[in-house]
Amino acid sequence: MLEIKDLHASVDGTEILKGITLSIGDGEVHAIMGPNGSGKSTLSNVLAGRDTYQITSGSITYKGSDLTELSIEERASAGIFLAFQYPIEIPGVTTMTFLKTAVNAQRKARGEKELDAVRFLKLVREKAKQLNVRDEMLKRPLNVGFSGGEKKRAEMLQMSLLEPSLAILDETDSGLDIDALKVVSEGVNALRAPTRSMIIITHYQRLLNYIVPDFVHVLANGRIVRSGGKELAAELEETGYADITESAA
Amino acid sequence: MTEQALTYLNANAVPSGGPAWLDERRRAARASFGDVGFPNRRVEAWRYTDLARLISKTNWTPSEQEAAAILPPEGSRNPFAAIPSWVIVFVNGFFRPDLSSLSDLEDGLEIGSLDAALAGGTKFETIFDANGPEDIAPMAALNAACARDGAVIRVADGVKLDRPLQLLHYTTSGDAKASHTRHVIELGVGATMTLLEAQVGWGGAYLADRMTNIALGEGASLTHVRVEDEDVKALHLSTVLAEIASEASYKATTLALGGLAGRLQTAIRFTGEGAHGESNTAYLLRGRQHVDTTIIVDHAVPACTSEALVKGVLDGSSTGVFQGRVIVAPQAQKSDAKQMSNALLLSRDAAMNAKPELEIYADDVLCAHGSTIGEIDEEALFYLRSRGIDEEAARRLLIGAFLSDVLERISLEAVQEALTARANVWFETAKSGSEKL
Repeated sequence: MLEIKDLHASVDGTEILKGITLSIGDGEVHAIMGPNGSGKSTLSNVLAGRDTYQITSGSITYKGSDLTELSIEERASAGIFLAFQYPIEIPGVTTMTFLKTAVNAQRKARGEKELDAVRFLKLVREKAKQLNVRDEMLKRPLNVGFSGGEKKRAEMLQMSLLEPSLAILDETDSGLDIDALKVVSEGVNALRAPTRSMIIITHYQRLLNYIVPDFVHVLANGRIVRSGGKELAAELEETGYADITESAA
Repeated sequence: MTEQALTYLNANAVPSGGPAWLDERRRAARASFGDVGFPNRRVEAWRYTDLARLISKTNWTPSEQEAAAILPPEGSRNPFAAIPSWVIVFVNGFFRPDLSSLSDLEDGLEIGSLDAALAGGTKFETIFDANGPEDIAPMAALNAACARDGAVIRVADGVKLDRPLQLLHYTTSGDAKASHTRHVIELGVGATMTLLEAQVGWGGAYLADRMTNIALGEGASLTHVRVEDEDVKALHLSTVLAEIASEASYKATTLALGGLAGRLQTAIRFTGEGAHGESNTAYLLRGRQHVDTTIIVDHAVPACTSEALVKGVLDGSSTGVFQGRVIVAPQAQKSDAKQMSNALLLSRDAAMNAKPELEIYADDVLCAHGSTIGEIDEEALFYLRSRGIDEEAARRLLIGAFLSDVLERISLEAVQEALTARANVWFETAKSGSEKL
């Protein structure tokens, strides 16, 4: 699905990613953990194509092609989805309008027929129900006045409608209480599929109790300093990041 | 008298020969306009819109009455065409009964031309005396001296009209032609009306000046929706003077996207307690277009509410101006006034000048004003694009969202849709580049 080789990236001339190599197979769920400032969010933004980040060397291959050739929207239509740590509030655009525009933009880009209003409504209602997203939320401007939990559920609703091949969840657990965390995790777990890979970016091990990863990587100072199975997350919870990051420095 | 003013008045002022009361007022208006002339940027209220410069280098002469049937070249650009209404049409500033649709008027609704009303002996002394606040007085005087025709619309006490009235201006007059129109709109006690006004032109570098005197009786309610869509080479001036009696409500929403340069000025004055006045504007500019929105609200009496929300999208090297002034008189306790200007700059060469002012002489009031100038939010753009929406569509969605605050204030859905549709055409022409300036 995704091959990252010796990836270096910087913001305003400051190098943040200093040689990341990572391989993600079909259907695999990889957790990327690390302290603040380790480069976790940079990695997710680089994958989504944000142009404030410059790739200085290395490569990203997605489904066999060079991902860096694609624009932000082309990556989305090719199946990459980034769930934002802080979803953006957009006054004046209702959630429903936004969802329909996004779904149909991707369908159009892939040469599929756009969904008409009736079929789309039916689809949204069905997915919204599974994620406990109320109808009233769909009528509100996108993310405006949503609680932290509502914003994350709205992100999950987008993900379930857009059916990505590679979902990147950037600190999805931040700002969630335990109940919201459970709802969101159930939503994510329901979307796990043999053809869908996921990258779960998180500071805390807590989320990984609910979304159990196949692999865990520790990012520190722009490099992956350790990789392992799901038990690595539990170990980190015990020892903290200090040991690992110091030994890597 | 300035030479510029004298030359203009000699060519464009209405000669005497009308009723004595009107001749007298036109003479006074000529004298008063002649004293100050076309305001230039050294006049504070015209600092950002140098009218003297804009009208210079052109030998303006009056628009002629157009007798032929008039249709815009690309079909009707009347944004309200699909809305069942009574319709009064002016072409080049003259009433056109043949293009109007004024049959089956309800009892208590009177619609006609100013010219006909004058011929019938109706006097409009106080209307031609009213020049409004100092900032806009020169334009009122110019209009009084030069206006040849206009609409007279009167709604009797207690008459509530469900059907809107369209007031349409088509301008085809061509380069260097000036038209001045004066409208009179009076709603009696408890009367209600929706007025849909469109100013559409395709006649080149003309000057279109319109002044509207609105008087609302106690408890009356006027919804006034305007689309200003003049030829992209034209100059336009629009002045609204609204006097609002107690418990009456005036709600205006304007979409402005035409003209090379224009000034939309509104003066609202409350004459009775518990009244409401609102003037909201959305404008879309590109090329070298310039639009000045000037709003003066006079809280002369207690317990009235007012609001002005002005939102502009500026592309190319266009310029926007917002001048807002709220005056709260010493006795006008419990006044509630809001003014806000938000500008979205799409280009590095676009510019916005905002000047919100408060003059508050009472102490128990709620007044808020402000202005913001910004660009498209890159975070929001990234978010939308990351969901597969292409950059062009994402920008359009965000600009539409920005303007929706103003357009959503129109409670009539069909009218709101009409304005949104016209704004969408602006986006389409931006994309195709067919409206290059």
